[in-house]
Parts: sequence; structure tokens; C-alpha cells
Amino acid sequence: MLKKVLFHNQDKTQLFIAVLGSIIGMVFLISSIHYLIRVNEFGKGEEILGPNTMIIQKKISNSSSLNISKNDFTKEEIERFKKESFVADAQAVICNNFNVLLLTDDKLVPKFSSDVFLQTVNTKFLDVSGEKWQWSEGDTIVPIVMPRDFLVMLNTFMSASGIPQVSEDLAKDIKFKLRISNETKRDFITAKIVGFTNEIPSLLVPESFMNYANQKYATEKEKKITNVMISSKEGEFGEMEKFLEERGLESRKSQVIIGKLKSIVSTLFIVLLVISIVTVLVSGLVLIQYMQLLIVNNKYQIRTLLRLGYKPKKIIMKFTKYLSSIFGLVSIFSLGLFFIEKLLVDGLFEKGGISINTSISFISLISVFISFCIFALVSFIVAKRKILNEFFS
Amino acid sequence: MNIHFSKVIPDPLASISHSSQSIWKSNFTLDNTLDKRVLLNASSGKGKTTFSNLLVGIRKDYSGNILFNNVDISSFSVEDWVNIREQKISIVHQDLQLFLNLSAIENILIKNELTQTFSIEEIEIFLKQVNLFDKKDQTVATMSMGQKQRIAIIRALCQPFEWIILDEPFSHLDDENSKICFDLIQNRCFEINAGFILTSLDPVEDFQFDKYLKL
Repeated sequence: MLKKVLFHNQDKTQLFIAVLGSIIGMVFLISSIHYLIRVNEFGKGEEILGPNTMIIQKKISNSSSLNISKNDFTKEEIERFKKESFVADAQAVICNNFNVLLLTDDKLVPKFSSDVFLQTVNTKFLDVSGEKWQWSEGDTIVPIVMPRDFLVMLNTFMSASGIPQVSEDLAKDIKFKLRISNETKRDFITAKIVGFTNEIPSLLVPESFMNYANQKYATEKEKKITNVMISSKEGEFGEMEKFLEERGLESRKSQVIIGKLKSIVSTLFIVLLVISIVTVLVSGLVLIQYMQLLIVNNKYQIRTLLRLGYKPKKIIMKFTKYLSSIFGLVSIFSLGLFFIEKLLVDGLFEKGGISINTSISFISLISVFISFCIFALVSFIVAKRKILNEFFS
Repeated sequence: MNIHFSKVIPDPLASISHSSQSIWKSNFTLDNTLDKRVLLNASSGKGKTTFSNLLVGIRKDYSGNILFNNVDISSFSVEDWVNIREQKISIVHQDLQLFLNLSAIENILIKNELTQTFSIEEIEIFLKQVNLFDKKDQTVATMSMGQKQRIAIIRALCQPFEWIILDEPFSHLDDENSKICFDLIQNRCFEINAGFILTSLDPVEDFQFDKYLKL
């Protein structure tokens, strides 16, 4: 009966407009948060290098080929890179200073060996757990990260030998050996693949192993640093690209393209997110405004109920519940529309060759819940203020 | 519950001159164990409705002190007033304060469901007594003023109270219906040991009162 009294005078057109605005805002909000997360996740897991990370080197020119200009980095240069506002970190890539041969050491795989080049980077640039990426003197197995191109080469060899090709997961179980040597001595150590990379053309080994082997088998005193691993801060890839261009530095094209694409799409989704938040706020305000109007239109009814002895809290809760249930329906309907929209957008991404994770991101669902809670709280505060005003009038 | 007025004057009436018999700016006490039937008689604009509204906490624009059982009502919180309106003082407003889109019975039930004072059957007996049983499902908006007044009176009776304030409750009733309603109110007050204060424009000679107040 209370509902019949309190929600008698309603402007359904205004309610419809407010609900429509809220649905549009909520769909935008859920979509922008979801795709912002998914785009930022793009490429994760496939690449052992951390996000926004690349290896840079100085552009090779005719003069550097003729040894007129330097193409190595000094420690001071690396320190200067670190001081740039958009640089998260920069570290020298250390190379082997001895001879290395990679051999298969598995009964199931034919004999295969190749001279390889080892490099090491600081663990913080790698998406690999610390436990897997450890080596200390005396350990019999050294973890390695293999270039994917190397696996392709290995598979070509396996195929030619009449042996089925191996997947990345299977390759991790194949036993390998590293033969490290100099002109006077040599040693064998078992190697185990822990990950793959598209970005580095050499085998990656832990820093501790490289230091140990360089000390024990070094053929030269100190090798020049020709590669630097650098990671940019989230969303500041544009600055990084400009910086590389100005300093005559270069990186693998794929790294630049993916980084640039992610940066552009992320920026677009951030803009969309801001617009969505504004839209949700405005539509939420329209709904709150609608509630205020409803309270004003039903001022007589509210006042009469209070005069009859009804508790203000009961009436406040009635309005809060009513508006919250409308917003709840808006949220459910928006989620439904988002699922439909997601099917279309995911299809577009797929067509464009971008395979993003298609599962619903938890944070976008949480954003709906948070929006609902904020709206319910604001509704309660507004209803309380308006209804208590009527108590002594 | 005793009600004590100590030199009370509502702000809008402060500039108007009042007779020496007026309750405004004077001291008086209403005790529902002694003065069960009180008549407040005054001409228009003297503050009958203001008096009623002060007693249920609708208005606070006055000077002086009003005490309920020796407690100053200016110190009452919202919760205190909710309790007073629900359990201690019932009121029939001059403008009746009915919900026009509800039926007669719904208007009564919306009050009764707060305290479950009467069963539906008992409410229907009241409606029969005031000759409105056949109109119980009729929307109040389509009723005459006299019918609305009777609905408002029954609604005011549907709660526990120590005082019931009736602001010109019979202004649109004929003598017969006025008598029926007066008896209904009086009987209920005697039954629950409560008092009533009836305000009126004209002297009421047909009914008996224990105390007479003037404005």
C-alpha cells in the first residue's frame, strides 16, 4: 500500500530517458574497462619478456661498419636512459665471452648441435618465475629461454629426420646440453627450456650462470655492451619511440609495432573510459534528479505518512530500494547488451588478427557492482536529506 | 500524559493582540486523568491549527515552553516524535490529510498497520457506525467532505493514544453524524483512559466538556 501512496505521481517519460541514459553509460563503462584490460593483456604469456620491454641497439651505419663511430653503450649512457621520465628501467644485455654449442641429449630426439650465442638480462625484465630462473655454482641444470626461430629450425630438422614435430610444451621436456669452452678447456652442462621469446635472437641464461661462465672461460677481458634492455612506463610508448628516433637507436620492428598498437588502443580505451565514467555519472545524476522530483511530487504523501507516525527511515528505504532496483535492472540489462556487443567486437578483433582473451574480465563486473553501490549510497543520502526535511513541516 | 504550556506564543501570532482569557502567553496544564474532554474555541486566525500542530511537533516556530510530562518538547528528537505520533497523540487535521488515490478502507489500514490496533472486522464495525460501510472500497477522491471527515476520524482512532486532537472535525457533518462521531471518540477515550481536545469555530453546546480553552 505504501508503494501505491509513494509512487503514485510519476513521470514515466522522464524515468524512461533516465534509464536509457544509464544503460548507454553502463554499457560504455563495462566495455571500456573490459577491453582496456584485454588489450593490455594482449601478448602476455606468449612472450617471456615483460610488457613494454625491448632490446635496443645503435643503428648500424656505414661509419660504424668501418669502425669510425661507436656502436656500443657506455655505463653512463645506460644511466642516462634510466633517468628519462618514461623509462621504467634499463639494463645492459650481457653476452658470452666464450664458445657455446647447444646439443640435443635425448634418446627420443636425433642428435643435433649448433653454435649458439648466449645473452642474459636482469630477471625483472622477464615474465618468468624466480624459482625457474635460478642457477648457482654447482647446479647441474641451467634454465634457458629459447628463441622461437630456433624451435622452428629444430622442428624442420626433426621433420626432415622423419620424427614428428614438437610443440613448445613438449620442447620444454627435451633434454639439451650446453658445451662451453675456450681454447684450453671445455665443459658440459644440462640445459632446460623454461620459455620462448620472439624478441631475442640468442639463448637467454641466468645472470649468475653468465658471470660464472664468463669468469671461467672468457677469451677476452671485457666485452662491449651493444644491446640494452629497456622498458617503458605503461601508456608512454609514444615518448619512447620519439626518444629512440632522436638518439639514433633501433629495436626490432615487431616490438615497436606491438608496443605502439597497444599504446594507441589503450589510450583510446582510456579516453572511452573517461567518457563512460562521465556518462554514467550524468545518467546517475539524472536518475537521482528523477528521485528528487518523485519526492517533490509526493511531498504531501510523505508528509502525511510522517504525520501518521511512519518512521522516516522506512520511507527513505522505500525510495532507496525503488531507485536501487531500477539501477539494478539497468545494470543487468547493460550486462546483457555488453555480452551481445562483446560477441561482435571480439569477432572484429579476431578478423583483424588480434586474438585477445574472450572471457569476461572480473574487474569490468566489479565496476558494475561498484557503480551500483555508489548509486544506492547516493540515493540513500539524497532521500534521507529530502525526507527528513519534511518531518517538521 | 499531562501537557503544560508556559507562556507559549507562536511566532506568526506574536504581533496580534490576544484576550486575557487566551491560552497564548499564559500558563496552563492539561491532564488526561482529570480533563478528558477539552474544547478549544476560537474564531478564525487565532491559531487553532497552530495549537494542534505544536502538540504533534509539526511546528517549532514558537517562544515559551511546552512540556509533556515535565519534559520540554523542544528537546525531542525525530525518534521521540515518531513515538509520540505513533503511540501518544493522535490527530485529525483540519485538512484531513487523506490519500485521495486510496480507498476509504485503505486510508484507515495504512494507519492501523503501524500498530495493529484493530482487526479489519473491528474497523468495519466503525465504518458501519458512521454509515460508511458501503463506501469502504470507494476512492476517497470521489467522497464528499463529510464522508472524508468520518474516514479521518476513524483513522485517528486506529492507534494507541493518550490524547487525540481534533481540529474542527465536524465542520462538514450534520448533527446526527456529528453526534455519532463524538460518541465514538468519547467512548474510545474512556476505554483507553485518554483525553481529547476538540477545536471549534463556534461554541459547541450539544456536547459535554470537562475543560474549555480560548484563544
